Amino acid sequence: MVLNDADREALTVTGVYLGSTVRSATIVVCDLAQVCLENNTRGFELMPISSALERYSWLREQYFFKALPADLDETVSRCAKEVDPLGFFLHVDKGVKIALPVQAAMYMKNEDIVQMIHNVIILEEDSELQLITGCLAGHEIKTGTHIAIEEQYIGKNARLVSTMVHAWGSEQFVYPHTGTVVEEGGRFESNYVSLRPAKHFVSNPQSWLIGKGASAKYLTVVLASPGSVIETGGTVYLNAEDTSAELAHRGVCTGGVMNQGGLLVGAAPCKAHVDCAGMLLFCGEGGYIESVPGLRSMHPDARMSHEASIGKIAPEQVQYLMSKGMEEREAISMLIRGFLGTDVEGLGAELDGQIAKIVEVAGHGED
Amino acid sequence: MSKSNGNILEIKDLCVRAGTEEVLNHIDLEIPDGEVHALLGQNGSGKTSLMMAIMGFSEYEVTHGTILFQGKDITESDVCERARLGIALAQQRPPTIRGITLRDILAYVFRDEDNPEKKISGLAVSSRLESFLDRDINHGLSGGEIKRAELLQLLALSPIFSMMDEPDSGVDVEALSLMGELINRLFTSDPDHPVHRKAGLIITHSGSILRSFPIDKAHVMVNGQIGCSGNPTILMKHINNFGYDSCIRCMGAR
Repeated sequence: MVLNDADREALTVTGVYLGSTVRSATIVVCDLAQVCLENNTRGFELMPISSALERYSWLREQYFFKALPADLDETVSRCAKEVDPLGFFLHVDKGVKIALPVQAAMYMKNEDIVQMIHNVIILEEDSELQLITGCLAGHEIKTGTHIAIEEQYIGKNARLVSTMVHAWGSEQFVYPHTGTVVEEGGRFESNYVSLRPAKHFVSNPQSWLIGKGASAKYLTVVLASPGSVIETGGTVYLNAEDTSAELAHRGVCTGGVMNQGGLLVGAAPCKAHVDCAGMLLFCGEGGYIESVPGLRSMHPDARMSHEASIGKIAPEQVQYLMSKGMEEREAISMLIRGFLGTDVEGLGAELDGQIAKIVEVAGHGED
Repeated sequence: MSKSNGNILEIKDLCVRAGTEEVLNHIDLEIPDGEVHALLGQNGSGKTSLMMAIMGFSEYEVTHGTILFQGKDITESDVCERARLGIALAQQRPPTIRGITLRDILAYVFRDEDNPEKKISGLAVSSRLESFLDRDINHGLSGGEIKRAELLQLLALSPIFSMMDEPDSGVDVEALSLMGELINRLFTSDPDHPVHRKAGLIITHSGSILRSFPIDKAHVMVNGQIGCSGNPTILMKHINNFGYDSCIRCMGAR
């Protein structure tokens, strides 16, 4: 299967640019086949997961289904039964800091596909990587199921910044599972943005901070529209001294159901905060936002906090901005953008652009 | 100008309700082009309500009467339409907005300019608000800083009719002279002809701003109505000597 111009254009929505000089490597899976693999950069390996499993016996022994159990739930078990799994293996050597992002796309081009992905990412000690992953359905595609497993291993003092942008069909089912292990001094930053909601989306990424000073930071930005059920969570196990975590959920609901969660488990002296914030613009029929941030402390020196807020756009704020000459729509867009983008440092240009698209959809009721 | 009889603003028999409360009661007010007027009055007398109604905030519902701006009836116009006609308001208690900075708003105002960043930083320096540009709008600002931030936005908008709700309250002595300078700049339409000014309306309690900035006429509000109108110095002196009680008694006797 070859990607045509329309496919290439579709991928750009999620920040994946084929043939780009500002990416260090590219891998694309289209429906049930890998269609593109480019890597001209030294210091890391990028290959199909099936090839890696054949080549490296240690991969299966030490990493494959080790950050996530193969029997985690029904969808993971289904993936685990795949003899020849789709997905990629990415291995960054010790001390290598990759300047340009690696990009990956999981693209569903046709109706009724069941796409099952398993990726394993390993960052050795002192390495750094920025990964941009676009998971999407073609613009006219409505149906299908996407199940993804991503296992990430971040070595001592290594840093992984993962930016994931999703855009789905209105009748699709999407179940990503991510497990991340962070060693001493390692840092994991996850930015997740959903542009077009699926019919049912469930994501509960899990991180284990196992080395002293390890940290994890999640930002999840989602839109729920009429007919969609969006469940976003996140569990961070703070198992070592001086570990820290931040979980931030930002959701805009224009109908449909949005469940925001997040659990911090402090088993050592640590510092962590979870924040769920929802903006309910329209309820539609039976639409709602439910926010349940959670804390579990297993150590007296675990300092953890949570907050949750759900609100509408305040009319006095809209009119205040209108008094500066903005039309009502412009004012609402700016308010949503402020709500979604708040407290987010160092947003990449791609992610910023995607948030602007959410604002466009949410604020104007257009798609 | 013929349609507006030389008045930039004409308010005729205006009644306004906020929630269930009648806050303005048959107000008549004319402000000629090029004049700056002051509104005096006790707390709760309706001064802020009048400004909010002129700006078109929907919380202030016009139940009777009309508002004409440059001869055009704007009674039904929304806030944005009024702003784009050249009306602007520096609020006394503007809202705090999460995730939106002063710079964001100024960037919007200067969106069609060639070098918006230069204009933004120039205004911020002259208002001594450089360190607040990238903070959430009005978040964690003192009373005086809020006043300067509001005034800075008026300067950016460069309206033909400016309204300021108590620009001098909560402002320390040093900042007061800065506010005076900025207000003078706001109303200056031709530096070579200082008597040619832009029009506006200022609410004040203390009258301290009146010393640094000439006002053409003042109006005393009592219980949602305009009582006396006249020379601002005479009115302020009278109020300082006899208090607003004398105005209330006078209004009651009519």
